[in-house]
Amino acid sequence: MPVGYSIYIEKPSYVHQRIDPRTKLFALCTSFVLALLFNNPAYLGVLLVAVIAIGLWAKLPLKSFRAYLIYALWFLILGVLIWPFYIHQGPVVLRVGSAQFTRDGLLFGLAMGLRVGLMVTAAGVWMMSTSPQHMTLGLLRLGLPYKAGMAMSATIRFVPLINAERATIMEAQRARGLDLSRGNPFRRAVRYVAVIGPMLVQALDLAQSLALAMEARAFGARHSRTSITEIRLTRVDWYIMIGCVLLIAAAIAFRILGIGVLIRGYL
Amino acid sequence: MAEPEVVIDVDEVSYTYAPDTPLALDHVSLQIRKGDFLALLGQNGAGKTTLAKTFNGLLLPTRGSVYVGGQDTRNATVSSLAARVGYCYQNPDHQIFNTTVYREASYGPRNLGLPPNEIAARVDHALQLVDLADKKDAYPFLLGKGERQKLAVASVLAMGSPILVVDEPTTGLDLHGIRSIMTLLRQWNQIEGRTIVIITHDLHIVAEYVPRTVVMAQGKIVADGPTRSILSDGAALATTGLKPPQITRVAQRLSHHGIPPDVMTVDEMLACLRTALSSNKDARTSQEGVSDAGWLQHLH
Repeated sequence: MPVGYSIYIEKPSYVHQRIDPRTKLFALCTSFVLALLFNNPAYLGVLLVAVIAIGLWAKLPLKSFRAYLIYALWFLILGVLIWPFYIHQGPVVLRVGSAQFTRDGLLFGLAMGLRVGLMVTAAGVWMMSTSPQHMTLGLLRLGLPYKAGMAMSATIRFVPLINAERATIMEAQRARGLDLSRGNPFRRAVRYVAVIGPMLVQALDLAQSLALAMEARAFGARHSRTSITEIRLTRVDWYIMIGCVLLIAAAIAFRILGIGVLIRGYL
Repeated sequence: MAEPEVVIDVDEVSYTYAPDTPLALDHVSLQIRKGDFLALLGQNGAGKTTLAKTFNGLLLPTRGSVYVGGQDTRNATVSSLAARVGYCYQNPDHQIFNTTVYREASYGPRNLGLPPNEIAARVDHALQLVDLADKKDAYPFLLGKGERQKLAVASVLAMGSPILVVDEPTTGLDLHGIRSIMTLLRQWNQIEGRTIVIITHDLHIVAEYVPRTVVMAQGKIVADGPTRSILSDGAALATTGLKPPQITRVAQRLSHHGIPPDVMTVDEMLACLRTALSSNKDARTSQEGVSDAGWLQHLH
């Protein structure tokens, strides 16, 4: 998974520019709920394709999904290897020693992998198509205190900086004979203190200077504040949200009726 | 007299940080001999730090090779090269993490796997050199900036590397701090015979302390030679956006009064002025009148 820098990808798409960040957040939550209501791999597969389609509509390059899908692949493999030991429903398709693998067990493992893939990809599409500013602004409009919003955007803002510091510290310590490639993982972790230590000190120092610099410019003098970019829910946003509510309602009905549910009694 | 052996040999090295970006180093060749005290001089982005990081394998050349004591840095690990090339970073806070000054200074030698008594001897010696011997139980983060800088230098000195690279040793220090660090490096070079490379854009400390200067601009070495001849060549320096030190420029303006054009420090200038004055006095006793160097008397 891409970590480190902000993963936002600037594109001139409808999803990026016209849909309110709150709507996108609501759609993301909807995809999570749907992912949890179905456990049939076919249904989850369709949903995953739909999420990727939304991502492509947002003009995100196809290769930007790769990291999420690879990440999900591990869960898929893990699911297919583990779930058959717990699910014995359906015809047996494979016997290894005394262990029996049933069709439904394997399919359920597949579904669980797809479910993780669906959730991380949906979160990925949300983060890649919503700028950190809009993300924070959306949360502020939903009632998040603006100091917390500031902390959130500062966190995103300083990730690249701290990462550059980490690289420098690592070089400085390697020049003093630190070798992170040798020894067992535990010893390596202990050696990492030489990097974590200065990094923490630098981060605290940075936080303190930032706080001082902000206070010097009267941060927090008023309880609420305006924003340079405004967001407004349009009619399209309301349509999308109503659509999401209908989808959730339908999915709950399906769940009760047993449609899209491979194994009853399992989430 | 035979020249001392080459300890770092940079052979036609080019380096890029990422494909399709301009070369950070562009076919650079440089030989550093045992006992050299040299300054890599140049503006931000000239390639000084990039070049220095190839000396201990932190960066491996994209093209060309760097040999340290005859060994290609590609075939050695950074931690093994650390025993030969000590590298001291610009910001001491990028490396300090221990709870006492003593432990901090002993971190490098411990990594080298030295026996305890050897570590103790080296650390004591290094702390003594930087004047921190009486603070060895102090908490490093509570030291002042100048002292932390010295501690960072000491912790690299304690590794006993015959070659020492110091990146911007004087940044953020006051005059006193600068003098004590530079005097220390000079001693380490002259008394202990270590090879020292400093990276800086401060012409004045180079003029005062460092005998050999390598000027870099846009990833290339544009001048390499004795500091005195390099820093007094205003035309050559101008191509890199540098100017000779102020005192040198004053001397050059006064050259028709018999002041040599390669004066590097205020002390040298004073000595030259004294000579000029006394010869002027002799001239005046034989010939009364307004002298060219009459105003020099005020200075004196």
